[in-house]
Amino acid sequence: MHKKTIHLTLNGEAREWSVYPNELLLNVLREQEYLTGTKYGCGIGECGACTLHLDGAPTLSCLTLAIACDGADILTIEGLARDGKLDATQQAFLEHSAFQCGFCTSDMIMMTRALLNENAQPSEAQVRDYLRGNLCRCTGYASIVRAALDAAALEKQRAEPSAAS
Amino acid sequence: MNYQILGNNYQRKDGIGKVTGSETYTSDVILPRMWHARVLRSPYAHARIISIDQTAAKALGAVVLTYADVPHLKYNERIVSIPPHLFRDRTVLADKARHVGEAVAAVAAPTEQLAEKALRALKIEWEILPHYTDPADAQSENAEPIHDAVLLNGEMKPIENNVAVARTVNVGNVDEGFEHADFIFEREYLTSRIYHAQMETKSCVCDPASDGSITVYPTTQSIHNTRQLLGEIFNIPLHKVNVKRVAIGGTFGSSIQMNSIIPICVALALKAKHPVKLVSTREEDMYDHVRYQTKLKLKIGVTRDGKITAGHIQALADVGGHNIQAYALLSVLAGWSASLYKFPHLRFEGKAVYTNKTPSCAMQGFGNPQATFAMESLTDEIAHELELDPIEFKLKNYVGLGGTFWGQGPSVQSIIRSDGVPQLLHDGAQKIGWRARPKAGTQTGRYRHGIGMARGFHTSGAGAPKPGEVIDYSGAFIKINEDGTVDVVHAMMDHGGGTLEAIAKIVAEELGVPIENVGISPADTLTTVYDVVTHATRGVYAGGGAAHKAALKVKQQIFEYASRVLELQADSLVIEPDYELRQGVIYCPNFPERRITLGALAKQLQINSWGTMAAVESLRQVNCPPAFVTYFIDLTVDTETGHVTTNRAVIGSDCGTVVNPAMAIGQLEGGLSKGVGYALVEDNQWDAQTGQLTSKGFWIDGKTPAISEAPFNENIITHFSDTYEPSGPFGAKGIGEAATNPCAAAYANALYNALGIRFTELPITAEKILRALNAEENREARVEMREMEAMAVMQAAE
Repeated sequence: MHKKTIHLTLNGEAREWSVYPNELLLNVLREQEYLTGTKYGCGIGECGACTLHLDGAPTLSCLTLAIACDGADILTIEGLARDGKLDATQQAFLEHSAFQCGFCTSDMIMMTRALLNENAQPSEAQVRDYLRGNLCRCTGYASIVRAALDAAALEKQRAEPSAAS
Repeated sequence: MNYQILGNNYQRKDGIGKVTGSETYTSDVILPRMWHARVLRSPYAHARIISIDQTAAKALGAVVLTYADVPHLKYNERIVSIPPHLFRDRTVLADKARHVGEAVAAVAAPTEQLAEKALRALKIEWEILPHYTDPADAQSENAEPIHDAVLLNGEMKPIENNVAVARTVNVGNVDEGFEHADFIFEREYLTSRIYHAQMETKSCVCDPASDGSITVYPTTQSIHNTRQLLGEIFNIPLHKVNVKRVAIGGTFGSSIQMNSIIPICVALALKAKHPVKLVSTREEDMYDHVRYQTKLKLKIGVTRDGKITAGHIQALADVGGHNIQAYALLSVLAGWSASLYKFPHLRFEGKAVYTNKTPSCAMQGFGNPQATFAMESLTDEIAHELELDPIEFKLKNYVGLGGTFWGQGPSVQSIIRSDGVPQLLHDGAQKIGWRARPKAGTQTGRYRHGIGMARGFHTSGAGAPKPGEVIDYSGAFIKINEDGTVDVVHAMMDHGGGTLEAIAKIVAEELGVPIENVGISPADTLTTVYDVVTHATRGVYAGGGAAHKAALKVKQQIFEYASRVLELQADSLVIEPDYELRQGVIYCPNFPERRITLGALAKQLQINSWGTMAAVESLRQVNCPPAFVTYFIDLTVDTETGHVTTNRAVIGSDCGTVVNPAMAIGQLEGGLSKGVGYALVEDNQWDAQTGQLTSKGFWIDGKTPAISEAPFNENIITHFSDTYEPSGPFGAKGIGEAATNPCAAAYANALYNALGIRFTELPITAEKILRALNAEENREARVEMREMEAMAVMQAAE
């Protein structure tokens, strides 16, 4: 097996990777880029822990070959906060304590981010439908739903600066 | 009570790390020169290893370990039980496989890929032995022994008929008690073996140093017990074993102390002379631990007016291939039962039997979800038969204020000094509409509606006045920094529920400083004093209690030094947070102008070379107060599909003072999710022919509840009692494990209310509901047929 060089954008920065054809995107991110916020939960697409955005779409990185990402735009949890400011989704998860052990938090936030990109004002039913493939054993999902709904509100608030400011 | 800090919600101290992906879990630890490990696991349920050919694996450059290469000391991964009750039956790698997935060899190599190749190059010759998936078969006369003998208190104890341990507990004279009964009820309940399903698979990184010391980053609930076991197994003095606390991706009992993969990783690192990382695959993890499956036979005597006269409980627990804590399980099964209701006479007979399945382990509630399911189902049935309101029956017989609570079985008892049950039952009944619930078995349409309730609890720690069968104490070290901020150095693990957050709050409250000024230090075993383990819902009560004790000591020092600087009597001083100055401020209420911030005081101490204000304390709580929980469930059954929809869940908690409101609610919501899974769907089934999981290690087939199983947020109603636990830090006691314990019984009782059918086997799946409905229909049809036949006979006679 030979390594192949690919080019991609990772969290807004240009990258050149040299990867074997059988290397998983999840492992390259964790072991070469030291971006360990994206988690291994099952390796076979059952739990959603490895979710990131690939060309804007939520994607299971444990089922994605790195070599297939030539020219791709990848966003991981580490790239979500910009200029030292948390994304509205992160802020809402923080304020609602919408995590316990935190192992699914990256994927829940990346899913919520993807949902809000598609639908800026989702209903609770839409949030629940969107997150149906992502497992959390700690929270019972209630606080995650609260945070996701509030993230939408927070983002709206951020987009419309109040008259005072 | 008015508190400055307790009862308020703040952003969690571990929050930024968790929402930005920068929190470090074991699997995220990456060290220079680090190698990767893989474990060879048995495909057979019971098989002896005749030989392992390592030639090809070694040729690939891998380090290989088998039973012959590791210490042969028998260990038990959970050393919280005292030596006379600590059954040791496993070694670092096994000489014979006792369940599918048992680790028999391990390899380490520079890359995970190479390690996997080396693993596949190992050639094993097996002698396959008869295996048992059913405890009844395992006990049969000529059954193949799963263990010949185990190590107990330094001596080999023979195992007969595969019975790991048996135990009887007697209170009073049960025969006499049943003589006083007007009615006697007997039922058998069966609970399921379910997978912990923590999000992070069990993992370990071990970094060996050239002086023979090791640094270990494990998934564990106790860094100190992991350290002690590793020191013992590998014969390394404890000052050369440093176990680091890293965040853990959920555990629920699965990482009770030293996971079996931890010593494997250490052995590989010592041999490879490289740091080694071992991350279990999900499939491996599913073959590592499950909740104890128990068969509970209950016999309860009651008088006509609803007083319990006696109880007789027979328990059979399925241990699996290794006995982690079956003795303790039997203790607590007796204890939870005795603490749920006042039994003037009680007899408990428990037996735990080895089988060739995944080892059973504590899982959120440790025996309590099982005991409470059975007991709360039967008491609901008794109340109905006596035509009493189940709430009335419970209040008449439950163990409340002033009663004796068995926190961890007969040796761990305390007197109940706070009890929110009457308030929780009253409020819960109102919120669910208890009085308007249907009359059981009266509905006919496709969709049938039911309301059920159950009450339970969990112990807050395992403390008691006398040393018990389990070790229980915590330690904390607190120091004031030179700017008035505070470091809390505590060995306790936070599984995510916010234990360390609560500890920080307790310290901030006592020291009178803003919560932002209290830091939780990174912890390892070299720099912390002993904490037994985060289990038994002891985090806030026992771990927080130790921190509170140390904080009181430090506060005394603050006042002594401040009295010198302010020239006021130490006893006249108070300290309170000042949010503008962002400091604790020390002053005398009579002379409020004479004040000093804690930061200025600490700096003054340093300038004067007076020393550091700091204290280290250990604390054993001498109580183990019950954290009570009540469940009211409103559900609808679709009688054509058997599908159950939760309309509303009302969950009440008596955790004493609520330290972290958002996190306490989070515990109850999480408890509901796991409780629903246990009640309705989760089940690990074993193929009797192969001894394998029928799910083959696929997580989805374990049916861990997803978001689709959870009710909408407005339909989960949580509420708290207004209680104060006199023995807890600021009146607080536990919550975590209590949150699931009564859930399954509340569902079973609601299903009875909807359908008029009692379910005694978990999980109560749609298939079981349909089967029961069909059986019921057939029974009704048979009755109808007989009546028609009888009428026909009568008509013919006329």
